[in-house]
Amino acid sequence: MSSFKTTMIGYVGYRGREGQISFLLHRITGLGTALFLTIHILDTSLVYFFPQLYSHAIDVYRTTAFGIGEIALVFSVLFHGVNGLRVAYVDLIAPKLWTIPKSRSSVRWTLAVTLILWLPAAGIMLYNILRHNYGLFGG
Amino acid sequence: MNASTVRTVQKPKPNYETIAWKWMRYSALLLIPLVWGHVLLQDIIVGVHRIDLDYVALRWASIGWRTYDTLLLAFAFAHGVNGIRQVLRDYIHSPAKQKWLNWGLLAFWVVIVAIGGIALIGGVRTIP
Repeated sequence: MSSFKTTMIGYVGYRGREGQISFLLHRITGLGTALFLTIHILDTSLVYFFPQLYSHAIDVYRTTAFGIGEIALVFSVLFHGVNGLRVAYVDLIAPKLWTIPKSRSSVRWTLAVTLILWLPAAGIMLYNILRHNYGLFGG
Repeated sequence: MNASTVRTVQKPKPNYETIAWKWMRYSALLLIPLVWGHVLLQDIIVGVHRIDLDYVALRWASIGWRTYDTLLLAFAFAHGVNGIRQVLRDYIHSPAKQKWLNWGLLAFWVVIVAIGGIALIGGVRTIP
């Protein structure tokens, strides 16, 4: 447990800039997605094991709180994918790109691509929440 | 560089961790179209407000979509559990504890994949 505390203090104090930000975001988005995936496998399995409970699970997913969580989940899946491609490409194909300046600019590109993919998706999901949960846009 | 100052390091033999390291990268290449396609369809095009038991039954009536979901279950969850293992290994250092961690996560993976797999094979049951 002491090593956990040391690591957490290290994450805050270390100034690794883009490289450290992408490392932390990759972990947070990966763990978040894995947690959701576990719940999602179990809730979908209700259709076979307890089909009468499935609509209750879906009702929970339709709430505004889970809708906001869904928008965060889509960010996680997009960032983890784009950043994963970056890491896999440099590891397997172009290891000469593992220099600090090249890593910094590639992390900035990764974040830009993620935002370009995420913003329209987030807009559509926000529209759906407002339409179905608040009766806006004729919902 | 002077030859006497150069230290050569032997490339380590590939072991289980080498396979796991490669697995994370190769499975990721397959997961990008699979997961992004799934998210685009279910979260953005269809949306959770239009998903219910009938929707799942209709989707799973197609063997193609069931195969798609089987691939997702197989690749995404194994990638996720190995990712959890990699993160926890940064905090758990003793070889004995790491061994427990490996077996514990393997058991977790087997149980969840079995539940999901049974549901995928059994399909949607009608409410009595």
